[in-house]
Amino acid sequence: MSGSLLLQSLLLGVLLGGLYALLAAGLTLYFGVMRVVMLAHSAFLILAAYLAWFFTVETGLDPLLSLVFTVPLFFGIGVGMQRLLISRLRPATLTMMSVLLTFSIALVIEGMLGFAFTGTHRRISLSYSGADIALFGASIPVVKLIAFGLAVVSLAGLYVLLKATRFGQALRATIQHGEAAQLVGINTDRIAGYGFGLGLATAAIGGTALALDSTIYPSLHWHWIGPLMAIIVVGGLGSIPGAAIAAMVLGLGQSLLQIPLGTTWAQTLFYVALFATLMLHPQGFFGGRLAQRF
Amino acid sequence: MASAALVLTGCLSSSAGQGGGDTIRIGISLPLTGDFSEPGKGVRRGYEAWADYVNARGGLLGRRVELMILDDQSSADRVAADYEKLINQNGADLVFGPFSTRLVIPAAQVAKDYGFLFVEPAGAAEEVFAQGFDNLFYAAPAVAEDHYNHLAAAILAIPPDRRPRTAAYAAMDDPFAQGTAYGLKEKLERAGIRTVVDEVYPPNTTDFGSIAAKIADSRADLVVGGTQYQDAVNLIVTLRQLGYQPAMAAFSTAPTNPEFPKAIGAQTEGILSPTGYTPEADYPSNKEFVAHYTAMHGSTPTEDEANAWTTGQVVAAAVQAVGCADPDLGCQRRLIDWLHGNSVDTVVGELSWDATGKPRGAHLIQQYVGGQIRIVLPADTKEADLVHPKPTW
Repeated sequence: MSGSLLLQSLLLGVLLGGLYALLAAGLTLYFGVMRVVMLAHSAFLILAAYLAWFFTVETGLDPLLSLVFTVPLFFGIGVGMQRLLISRLRPATLTMMSVLLTFSIALVIEGMLGFAFTGTHRRISLSYSGADIALFGASIPVVKLIAFGLAVVSLAGLYVLLKATRFGQALRATIQHGEAAQLVGINTDRIAGYGFGLGLATAAIGGTALALDSTIYPSLHWHWIGPLMAIIVVGGLGSIPGAAIAAMVLGLGQSLLQIPLGTTWAQTLFYVALFATLMLHPQGFFGGRLAQRF
Repeated sequence: MASAALVLTGCLSSSAGQGGGDTIRIGISLPLTGDFSEPGKGVRRGYEAWADYVNARGGLLGRRVELMILDDQSSADRVAADYEKLINQNGADLVFGPFSTRLVIPAAQVAKDYGFLFVEPAGAAEEVFAQGFDNLFYAAPAVAEDHYNHLAAAILAIPPDRRPRTAAYAAMDDPFAQGTAYGLKEKLERAGIRTVVDEVYPPNTTDFGSIAAKIADSRADLVVGGTQYQDAVNLIVTLRQLGYQPAMAAFSTAPTNPEFPKAIGAQTEGILSPTGYTPEADYPSNKEFVAHYTAMHGSTPTEDEANAWTTGQVVAAAVQAVGCADPDLGCQRRLIDWLHGNSVDTVVGELSWDATGKPRGAHLIQQYVGGQIRIVLPADTKEADLVHPKPTW
């Protein structure tokens, strides 16, 4: 293995890890707030990717501008989904029933995408899609860098929101102990709705980041749900920093392992990590006390 | 969706007739939903156009052709059950094959068990012909391993000082996609062109960064993708992002897709691809096919439709030569024997087969030249000269 290939793989691994972190952030939020296993998260990612593609095809503008519409839209859909559907599930069976409910939502989204845009594979044609920045003999693809930037900004924003605002405190209180939060006057139902909306808003950003550098088609979400679930389990369900660290470790690991092992074995890293986590440390490796509740 | 179990004729309810009469019932199972639904629908359009064309000209042996199409949902279990049903219960006089190697093999086994002729539009992988089917015929010019034959010959004809010295291969873990790349790899390795990267990736790969990094790092003169659509597009764009500029780049499947230039933008120039079909081909029946298909669908046919139409042509040629089209063993045996001994003129040229049903031919090689996809090989059908080295992408 040459030094330049190692550096190149490291760079690509970091960029990939950032994207994974962004894509998984919402999943860990849903589980943290209300123990919902949201199988439709990756379907929403693909929906956002399609909206970004459609926006660019129709207007000729940069797909990043579609975020102006998709982020509030997805936030609204998230709040609505939580209030109208998720909150009606019985608490005793919430986790299991949420799997079934969100599975059906994923199927509906996939079907609607196929109906509206056909199964044809789409890709946003960007003037800078092949551009790169040279760094010590390695290349940093511009689109991957933009996706990474989106991830950093969104996750930092999410972190600040959770740590420094009243809403964030209320959300964290709801995550930590719902009943106690209610006792101190937090409207946990409303907070849960907003939490869900926030998760889905990250899907809007993640999907747009994905669309910058991927060929998309309606059933693509099935390829994502497995790795994303693995990330949030390894990271500790409910912990956003945990998910981010796990995403980075797994993204880098995948990128580096690919050199000696090849793609097929490198991809199994996610499942090996998932298996090892469930065997050795079922509450996740990076989650801390918060995640241990689940 | 309405396609869940689509039977295009009302003859399911009119029950299991035993052939004969004034119609020829052709049983077909296709992946109209699931992984292969896009090509599956293309094959259906081709079959329907062929039936429409034949019926408009008085049918086969004076009998109307009726298609019975079931949806196997891209599942190998369902496809076998479908052909059982078509032959046993629905009274099919003939069967046509489904789409994709993975479905062709189980389907052909059922046809063989019932002694049926099995002409199929989409079993390009070597393993289809290694199963000992004597009833199977692939209705296309070449199997996957032979797709790049003309390109291999052209590369070896380049003077040694300008010829590529090293090659990088990346192939999807899929019998067809891998077959195309490895057919070329074997020939080039034999001629001393060194393999510097040989990567196989699973069909669900979404990130091509690492594969592209390996290829870019190798600085191979030639990059070959054993690809389907989305992986080829993702790989090409990632290779560009890493600043890799090969002297020659060849990818199977994707470059012949009309979406390809939309996805890649202006950087398609010089990209090579094998293709089994072009609407411009000069074969006599192809003009009628393109005209009929275009009138029916408002667009020119692609390879999936052409392979389906070719399947119809091959079976029709046998039926007309032998003079029968019914499910009894004697008739089916005569149809099979006739195809083993004869060649058929089709929209993809003259086809003949070896004992395993493998066609004796090679694919055309196309290249993006001046923003348009042109046939560059072989020399006798070329529309433009092969561009080498490839312009930067």
